[in-house]
Amino acid sequence: MNLIICSVVVLGLIGFAGALLLYATARKFRVDEDPRIDRIVSVLPDANCGGCGLKGCRDFAARCVSQGSLKGLHCPVSTAENIEAIASVLGVAAEATERHIAVVRCNGSCDARQELYTYDGALTCSIMDATGVGTRGCAYGCLGCGDCVAVCKFGAINIDPTTKLPVIDPDKCTACGACVNECPRHIIELRPAGLRDRRVWVACSNRERGALARKTCTAACIACSKCVKACPFGAVTVSDNLSYINPDLCKTCSKCVTVCPTGAILSSFPVLNKTAVQS
Amino acid sequence: MSHTFKTGGIHPHGFKTASPEIQFQSLPMTATVLLSQHLGAPAAPIVGKGDKVTRGMLIAESASYVSASVHAPISGIVNSIEDVVLPNGKNGRAIIIKADETEHESDICARVEYWTKTVPEASSRDLSESLSSKEIQSRILSAGIVGLGGATFPSHVKIGLKPTQKADTLIINGCECEPYLMCDDALMCTWAPQTVEGVELIMKAASIEKAVIAIEDNKPRAIKAMRSALDSAHNISVMPVKTKYPQGGEKQLIEAVTGRRVGSGGLPISVGVIVHNVATAFAVWQAVATGQPLIERIVTITGDIPAGQRCNYMAAIGTPLADFPYTLPEEARVIVGGPMMGRTAVRLDTPVTKGTSGLTILSGKGHRPIQPCIRCGACSDACPMGLDPYLLATYGRLRMFEEAAAADVADCIECGSCSWSCPSSRPILDFIRVAKQRSRK
Repeated sequence: MNLIICSVVVLGLIGFAGALLLYATARKFRVDEDPRIDRIVSVLPDANCGGCGLKGCRDFAARCVSQGSLKGLHCPVSTAENIEAIASVLGVAAEATERHIAVVRCNGSCDARQELYTYDGALTCSIMDATGVGTRGCAYGCLGCGDCVAVCKFGAINIDPTTKLPVIDPDKCTACGACVNECPRHIIELRPAGLRDRRVWVACSNRERGALARKTCTAACIACSKCVKACPFGAVTVSDNLSYINPDLCKTCSKCVTVCPTGAILSSFPVLNKTAVQS
Repeated sequence: MSHTFKTGGIHPHGFKTASPEIQFQSLPMTATVLLSQHLGAPAAPIVGKGDKVTRGMLIAESASYVSASVHAPISGIVNSIEDVVLPNGKNGRAIIIKADETEHESDICARVEYWTKTVPEASSRDLSESLSSKEIQSRILSAGIVGLGGATFPSHVKIGLKPTQKADTLIINGCECEPYLMCDDALMCTWAPQTVEGVELIMKAASIEKAVIAIEDNKPRAIKAMRSALDSAHNISVMPVKTKYPQGGEKQLIEAVTGRRVGSGGLPISVGVIVHNVATAFAVWQAVATGQPLIERIVTITGDIPAGQRCNYMAAIGTPLADFPYTLPEEARVIVGGPMMGRTAVRLDTPVTKGTSGLTILSGKGHRPIQPCIRCGACSDACPMGLDPYLLATYGRLRMFEEAAAADVADCIECGSCSWSCPSSRPILDFIRVAKQRSRK
């Protein structure tokens, strides 16, 4: 009996001493973290995609709190309501930011670019780009191995089985920019989503002279400048044998889409085609 | 016990079945001369459209210190200076020279006379007495000579040592460890005395006392020819080295010959050694003794083609690869260079450059599918640089470029021993190349 009491007391004392030690250590090395960080993290999408340019959602929240405002910080994945919620945690007014969507600047489908040779190396775009021009012969266009698909954390990209080109789902795309950085050919661009989801862009990245570009791909921009002349707002420019539509000036009238002889300009909405306009 | 390097290495089958005699590939009527045939800045053209050029004339000057000048391989009129396709399908700037019948005829006569009379009779022995090392260096620079082993690093940069640098050994690389290729073998068998004189010239230009010509022991004819040419040469020796890939790698060869190890990121000069290829030595001899710049080189055409077509050709720079006489097998895979370090060509209407050591033509059959890594470590055993290729490849695949840099990816010599030894036929080197390129940025 005596032994039992003795061991209970000893164990209890050891436990008490341990508890005191733990308490003292916890007090000594306590890290004060702003509770607002946790509140912001709870609003953030928790995708850790790096679209904000920081290490993850928690880093973003910590940066928001330490700087006390949302200035220069933007989570492309969050909706406007979420951004407002973050701003209210910080006690500041949310700035209106425009939603962006990724677009693929290549329209070289299987019909437009014939396969030149058989490639049996590793099926990643970065390796195919390093070994040569790619099976479709265009040194600028999509390689079709889907590095962008693999890197997208939101499942917004898939490769169209008939055209072998990536298709971006505008509802899922959060404009985090992971695919933009991943593409070895740099053909994915983030563009403003536009009013009523209307976007117009040049779906080609080929910087060859027109004749050469046309030789490799029938859907290539040949820098004929018809789009420049057709645009009433001066939004289209041609430099380096490639046309570019400035999204800030573009009013999505789609005149350039109808005049483009190779169909290199795409729009996110249906446009009456060239022949229909003429008839 | 023959000399070799200690870490890693593999033993691929040699396939050195091309005829060691050198054939002369006919001069093309149209030569496409690329401006960037070397490492470093592309050469700057000094001729314009419509200008008349003669064989051996300077047509593009070296644009910076690490660059090389380019000469006209044929006489004719400059047709244009434009972008042409390279073997990988991408574009590169080139000077296109077109010859007419009379120019073509006179070029052929001059070439026959050069190779049958000038080369066998000329000697640089008397000249090398009178020429100073600076003069030899300037001749190497003006002849546009680059490392002909494949890396095409401008030779004058390697030879022109800074006052603080001191080399005691010149290693002449005649290993040709790459399977299939035989251009250096053919050169050493045919023009051994001239090559030895070229070695003497490089020794003089870089003020080096001792030279070692290293040749793999699977080339007994070349070893014999070079040894017999050495009679009158001082301080030069021929060292047979073990047949093992990559014996011809710069750092591996230095270890095999001198026992010294070049540290990570170091250059051969840090251990007092300079390495040049035998073909470079011959080109130096040509430039000094005969005055001909680098406008022709030996190209091995070999692989899965009829035995009679496997040959070594002396071809003018700018000859289209499709001009050589060979019949492609079905589903052919044409590699510019050897099978280990060469790059598969997707276009054959591209020209011979200073770095084209050969065409290896393989039939497409026998390619195995890529399978998962089984952690066997064969690649780590094979790596001659003592790296862990499976790890570097994984970093490359998962885009962990900082980790790859920390694991010394920059030391990879891209010899391909890892991919060759992989039982799952994984493209290890391809992934490492991605990691190497991206971690450099």
